[in-house]
Amino acid sequence: MSKILDIPLHVSYIQNLDKKKDFGYHLTEHLRLNGVYWGLTALFIMSREDALDRAEMIHYVKRCWDEEAAGTFGAHPGHDGHILATLSAIQIMAMQDALDEVDTDRVVQFLLSLIRPDGAVAGDSFGETDTRFSYILIQCLTLLGRMDVLDRDIHRLAREAILENIRGSMNFDGGFGTEPGAESHGGQVWVCVAALALLDRLDVVDRDLLGAWLSERQLPNGGLNGRPEKLEDVCYSWWDVAALSILGRLHWINRDKLIAFIIGAQDLEGGGIADRPGDWVDVFHTVFGLAGLSLVGYPGLEDIDPLYCMPAKVIRRMGIEKGYTALSRMSST
Amino acid sequence: MTPADALGALLGDDERASGSELDIFSVHNFEPGSVYRTKARMHGVKRTRVTPQAAEAKRLKDQAKIEAYVALQTEVMQRKQAKEYTPEALKRTSDLLDLNPEYYTVWNYRRHILLRGLFPSCAPAEIVNLLAADLRLTTAYLQIHPKVYWIWNHRMWCLENVPLGPGPDASDEPGSSAAATTGKEGREGWRNEFWKTELRMLEAMLDADPRNFHAWGYRRYVVRSLPASFTPKRTPQDELRYTQKKIEANFSNFSAWHLRTKLLGGLWEEMDPGEVKAAKDAEFELVTQALWTDPNDQSGWLYHRWLIGAAPPEDVLRREVKNIRELHETEPDSNWCMNALAHHCTLLSTMAASDEGEKLRLEARGLYERLEVVDADRKERYRDMAQRTLS
Repeated sequence: MSKILDIPLHVSYIQNLDKKKDFGYHLTEHLRLNGVYWGLTALFIMSREDALDRAEMIHYVKRCWDEEAAGTFGAHPGHDGHILATLSAIQIMAMQDALDEVDTDRVVQFLLSLIRPDGAVAGDSFGETDTRFSYILIQCLTLLGRMDVLDRDIHRLAREAILENIRGSMNFDGGFGTEPGAESHGGQVWVCVAALALLDRLDVVDRDLLGAWLSERQLPNGGLNGRPEKLEDVCYSWWDVAALSILGRLHWINRDKLIAFIIGAQDLEGGGIADRPGDWVDVFHTVFGLAGLSLVGYPGLEDIDPLYCMPAKVIRRMGIEKGYTALSRMSST
Repeated sequence: MTPADALGALLGDDERASGSELDIFSVHNFEPGSVYRTKARMHGVKRTRVTPQAAEAKRLKDQAKIEAYVALQTEVMQRKQAKEYTPEALKRTSDLLDLNPEYYTVWNYRRHILLRGLFPSCAPAEIVNLLAADLRLTTAYLQIHPKVYWIWNHRMWCLENVPLGPGPDASDEPGSSAAATTGKEGREGWRNEFWKTELRMLEAMLDADPRNFHAWGYRRYVVRSLPASFTPKRTPQDELRYTQKKIEANFSNFSAWHLRTKLLGGLWEEMDPGEVKAAKDAEFELVTQALWTDPNDQSGWLYHRWLIGAAPPEDVLRREVKNIRELHETEPDSNWCMNALAHHCTLLSTMAASDEGEKLRLEARGLYERLEVVDADRKERYRDMAQRTLS
């Protein structure tokens, strides 16, 4: 098995995602805008952000705007507005340096409408809440330069209410769940830790306790899982590992084994990365595999910011960088 | 016909094959834990090599299926655009969701059809029938896609919309004696039936996959929102018994251990100290049994650490340190055992006299040094932890 990341192959895999219009392509229309974000971020990590047409992408994002239902972005033209699609839209526009083409006031208004009295954040007007949405709201506001609105009295001070809800979702093992009462989960840990970091409230977290829990996610085969006694999956090479990076505990796992695991999950014929070696690839696992590799210093990749899952150079250009510890980039494998 | 067969029949043979792969997926039970929705099909499906010719042949064969899907999608979106809130439109959303239950915009449209088109002209009993039909629909979907957020969301929405009845008029004075005695059960009769169904459905879902966090989350919601007149009453003790049943079936079920920490934390706040101590001792007994059964299972160790807590009484801590030491002697290679011993020795050292404290810290450092060797993947963590015992 090759120990090398086949960058040209993965670039061409992403460039061709939109060309293979099979049944699965049509069935995943509700993820299209997320898919564009995953693809563009993957290309940035591989220093090939020019591989997709910028003007076409910006035009597409704007077509995803849902004027009627929500005044925000949906997952595809004609789809209803939702906070999940909104984050992808804002991230893409930030990476393309085109945020001035977003109706910031309307998006902010939509985001604020999602904050519940207990500080939970909903995904849309139907009201499902999740700590993922709390994180998304905070990241969107940060990218839009509008964190000041959290100092408004909505039900009460929005910033405090949201913080309290995230804190209430923290468990005895140091981790976080989808809501107060829910079991700790690697994905929820990342969103909550990153949200706290963006709020400058990492003091809430017991770094040693949570860092230990996260480091125990790594299995003997090098991959990480999301919860105790579960199987590994490449996407946790991002969720768990980015959280470790924000907590300054990234050195608590075995970097070489993780790299070997992700590299082994590549499809060396068609390109792309799978959830684990031998499975079908998709753009979701491709970007999170690459992002994990970048964070642990795999050679030849662009830096990624673990608070945003966006290229570090974009975050620096926007002047919204916070602290984290990545591993130094290796010169060769 | 099982729901999986029904879906297979709708989708044709190819998708039926991938449906069975999804069943394998659901047995293994891993989820993306993503900020984003991901299709279940993204996870755990083995790659098979297809030649470009074979792929093209499949694409041509799929062409008719794709065209039918796109035509249906276009039709449903046009009806949505036209704000058509009719029974026929509802039927077409079912047809589309059968093929793609992750199409959240269509779930939204479906709810609007019900809320804006159908409910306003329905008697409460008819609303109940419509909601019951949607629960059956989502039950069928969940058999195949037990991890799709949108399906669980729709179910929750259905529950929130069950009308009062069929008993005395919902506008009865809640304080009247009739409402308080016979009336109340009647007024919540439908709701009680729905919640009963949900508890049964959840039992089956958590039997099929005892770690499905969507099902656990939905269960928290269902229990939290039980109608006031629901019988038998569900107490935290009942929930505790349920976690015990799950743990006894499999000590590795950390989801059940987790819920136990939440339930007991609440219960103990309302007990007097003597009762709490007795209850804790019973928990120590349960978890000790799990630890001795499989000292490499992290679920028990995490629970044990919670049970001891950050500031335990010294006698409890001494007893547990002694117990872990015994287990460590029997199972000298268990990392989790060494970790627990090192952590609790360090904690005890803060309570002990200086001589004994130094001895305990030395013991902890020795364990961390050993861990650096036997659990080398995390050696940097053990180095850091050993360092912490010096300060």
